[in-house]
Amino acid sequence: MRYIPSTEEQQREMLKEIGVSSFEELIASIPEKVRLKRKLNLPPALSEHELEEKIVHIAQKNADFYNIKPLIGAGAYRHFIPEAAKALMQREEFWTCYTPYQPELSQGTLQAIFEFQSHISRLTKMEVVIPSIFDGASATAEAALMSIRLTHKEKIIISSLLHPHYRETVKTYLEPHNIKIVELPFQNCLTSVDMLKQALDNNTAAVIIQSPNFLGGIEDIEEVTKITHQDGALLIQVIIEAMSLGLLKAPGNMNVDIVAGSTQSYGLDLHLGGPYNAFLATKKSYIRQLPGRIVGETKDKNGKRAFVMTLRAREQDIRREKATSNICTNHNLNVMAGNIYLSLLGTEGLYQYSLLNFRKAHYLEKELLKSGKFSNTFTYPYFNEFLISYQGDIKELQEKLVDNNFIPPLSIVQFYSEEELKQCLLFAVTEIFSREELNYISNLLSR
Amino acid sequence: MKLIFEKSFPGRIAFSLPSDSFDEIKLEDSLPAKYLEKDKKQLTEVSEVDVIRHFTKLSKFNYGVDNGLYPLGSCTMKYNPRINEKMAGLPNFVYAHPFSFPEMIQGSLEVMYKLNQLLCEITGMDQYTMAPASGAHGELTGVLVMRKYFLDHGEKRHKMLIPDSAHGTNPASAAMAEFEVIEIKSNEKGTVDLGSLSQAMDSETVGLMLTNPNTVGFYDEGIETVQNIIHDKGGLLYYDGANLNASLGISRPGDAGFDVVHLNLHKTFSTPHGGGGPGSGVVGVKSKLIPYLPTPLVDLDQNTGKYFFKEVGKKSIGMVRSFWGNFSVLVKTLVWILSLGSDGLYQCSRASVINANYILAKLREYYKPAYDRYCGHECTLTGREYKKYGIKTLDIAKRLMDYGFHPPTIYFPHFEPYADETIMIEPPESEGKEVLDDFIKTMIVISKEAIENPELLTSAPHRTPISRTDDAMAVRRPILTYDDELILKDELNYQEKDINF
Repeated sequence: MRYIPSTEEQQREMLKEIGVSSFEELIASIPEKVRLKRKLNLPPALSEHELEEKIVHIAQKNADFYNIKPLIGAGAYRHFIPEAAKALMQREEFWTCYTPYQPELSQGTLQAIFEFQSHISRLTKMEVVIPSIFDGASATAEAALMSIRLTHKEKIIISSLLHPHYRETVKTYLEPHNIKIVELPFQNCLTSVDMLKQALDNNTAAVIIQSPNFLGGIEDIEEVTKITHQDGALLIQVIIEAMSLGLLKAPGNMNVDIVAGSTQSYGLDLHLGGPYNAFLATKKSYIRQLPGRIVGETKDKNGKRAFVMTLRAREQDIRREKATSNICTNHNLNVMAGNIYLSLLGTEGLYQYSLLNFRKAHYLEKELLKSGKFSNTFTYPYFNEFLISYQGDIKELQEKLVDNNFIPPLSIVQFYSEEELKQCLLFAVTEIFSREELNYISNLLSR
Repeated sequence: MKLIFEKSFPGRIAFSLPSDSFDEIKLEDSLPAKYLEKDKKQLTEVSEVDVIRHFTKLSKFNYGVDNGLYPLGSCTMKYNPRINEKMAGLPNFVYAHPFSFPEMIQGSLEVMYKLNQLLCEITGMDQYTMAPASGAHGELTGVLVMRKYFLDHGEKRHKMLIPDSAHGTNPASAAMAEFEVIEIKSNEKGTVDLGSLSQAMDSETVGLMLTNPNTVGFYDEGIETVQNIIHDKGGLLYYDGANLNASLGISRPGDAGFDVVHLNLHKTFSTPHGGGGPGSGVVGVKSKLIPYLPTPLVDLDQNTGKYFFKEVGKKSIGMVRSFWGNFSVLVKTLVWILSLGSDGLYQCSRASVINANYILAKLREYYKPAYDRYCGHECTLTGREYKKYGIKTLDIAKRLMDYGFHPPTIYFPHFEPYADETIMIEPPESEGKEVLDDFIKTMIVISKEAIENPELLTSAPHRTPISRTDDAMAVRRPILTYDDELILKDELNYQEKDINF
């Protein structure tokens, strides 16, 4: 077996040194009754060549996705990833190592995480950053739990324009804790601020609002935060399209208390939805209630700067059932990818990419409206994702786009049953589309 | 070494832009100024070469499985085959959007469907959910499923039994489901004490979370009785799959009475740890628990031969994350299983158990184990002998680095008789005899150094990019971002910022 170096002969020697005559003696403590008395019924082992052909064959049953650009986002965005980032991520030292418990052998991972925390802190203008929770949905759920620990209150208000999967996940995480969840309706693709005022009371732990929201709308976070704070509740802003941080006002400049942000847009491919990554960012005063790992700077005994996992007294391996969360393994490698991506884009690059996303999405919307087949039932500020109604047959439109090598926009009725949304499509346009392609799409859909 | 921010020069760039910038579209036409940041967010200004050099240098400060033995106990740091990576990187998988129509992702769905079948056969379970992102995430999913099962049957059970040898994630996960954690002591053999278990188990108790072999590396010989105690009182048995690498093709948790199982695909199934993830913590259950799994599952329409996402139904605990699972990790797992087959899987467990017992046999004289018995895929020793020379186990671990090894897990588990100076060693099947011999020889040399020249250990490591860190200072004065450091710049006064190694 190519992954087991020791030969039969060597294993016999080892058994002899152990002092047993057979392997069976070593596992004698496994009761007969729970032994498997047959071989596992698995397909026969394949040579590497056979294996490659088999898996390539399975992959070919997928569409040729590299050449099919998505006009859909809805929580997962295809952006261009520079080759330098991809090449660096191939370095085995980054991906064959364990969680950096031994700082002397892990400075590479630890420093990169520290740099990522610094990047996110500057992008969000928040003081403290937990670099890795599994994904935006679980990070949002952890933020909700954190707000309950901080406030000792029992109600959470969630915007109905929070990604449906995120809402589901928050409900799953909160279900055992006897927490009242109130969903806020929306108007004109933005969360209803009037309804927020009604829903808030002094038993509210937090208000969770996504911006840009699930329909792409940029919420008036400053206003929402002001209202939320009047009742002593915390404002949790969820950001899924992190590319928007290149342009949009930082949550920290809008008095947000906790940010849960997916970083899929920072150097991660789509992979059918995972693995992605998310951060939690907050104020220093809330540090003790944060879930998950964080890296801090210190000195080694010779006075050199060094990085270590720190503030660990919150974590499960030390606190067990009293920990702030059960999270252990997170998505650190995707933190590395995000840090490399942000380093390559830098100050100017992230701004320019962000601007291109904004401009191309608005360009396509304009072109579609010109065709007469589309109308904007709603007008609201958005970043790179917008809702538009289509006068024709949606199924036909979808087929047309698939036939022309595009993944169609999201048909929103899948998630929202409101009558007025029946004919609505949620388009996402990132920097990967050219003017020719966008013109082609609008021509195609005007016919 | 210098941070990427400290390598920044105004005007440098590492990105490229298309010539068409769509500048006829004006921000201010569609976005009120109050939504925009006034100034650009200050990140870095570096060239592509700067970035490549920076991260290449950082990579050299890391130690991975490809560099040598990484014997962390209960972590199963085995070789990550390259073919797995290549297959997970096929463009048709990589660029698939999670909301693509089912007919566009038949290949991806087939991967999930087939993997479910294989994992069910390997573990003796009836259905897996691919959603959980890690072991602990799988635990949370599993305990929520158990909770929902009892609620659905009109039972209010609020206690969870967990052995003192368990990983910290077990009690932490149980607490996230609002269960009261009851700790079960280990017996004189290092496994679950059946008397205490029997006493603790009652009709208000959900069940038991068990790692088998446990975190010391021992198979629980009382497993049949354990099962009866839990099931007789209507409870459920949870299997923490962290140590499944000892049991492939030998014993299946499903046959030993476990109702819920989580697997760490990044341990037993060879997918990389990535410096702390992403892994995958898929959860398998017996048929009576399928209705409570997270939604959705992948199914096959027998008539059309097409795969599709199937909603689990009203009893489901709901979703535990966005989208469907850590898909690329699932591809790697499938590839690994197909490359080994049933004999290959058995050989992996056999080789890892022989490896661990070989180390135990060779080192027991120098680092006394607490129990006199054979182990599974990992062995637990102690460094207590050397306390009288002023040596802590931490010193032994750091000294190992000087000889080019990653240290084993230390100071875990915490329970008596392992309360202190524990060394837990897991040498997976991908370590050959000569590597183990080198390690054994080194451990013996260190045991002599501990007596004859303890300073060598207490001052170790000597050959790493940095020496031991001041962890207390990191907590006392948290510097968690570069901007935190800038505030304290003068006070910190580093000797050297650019490490050359």
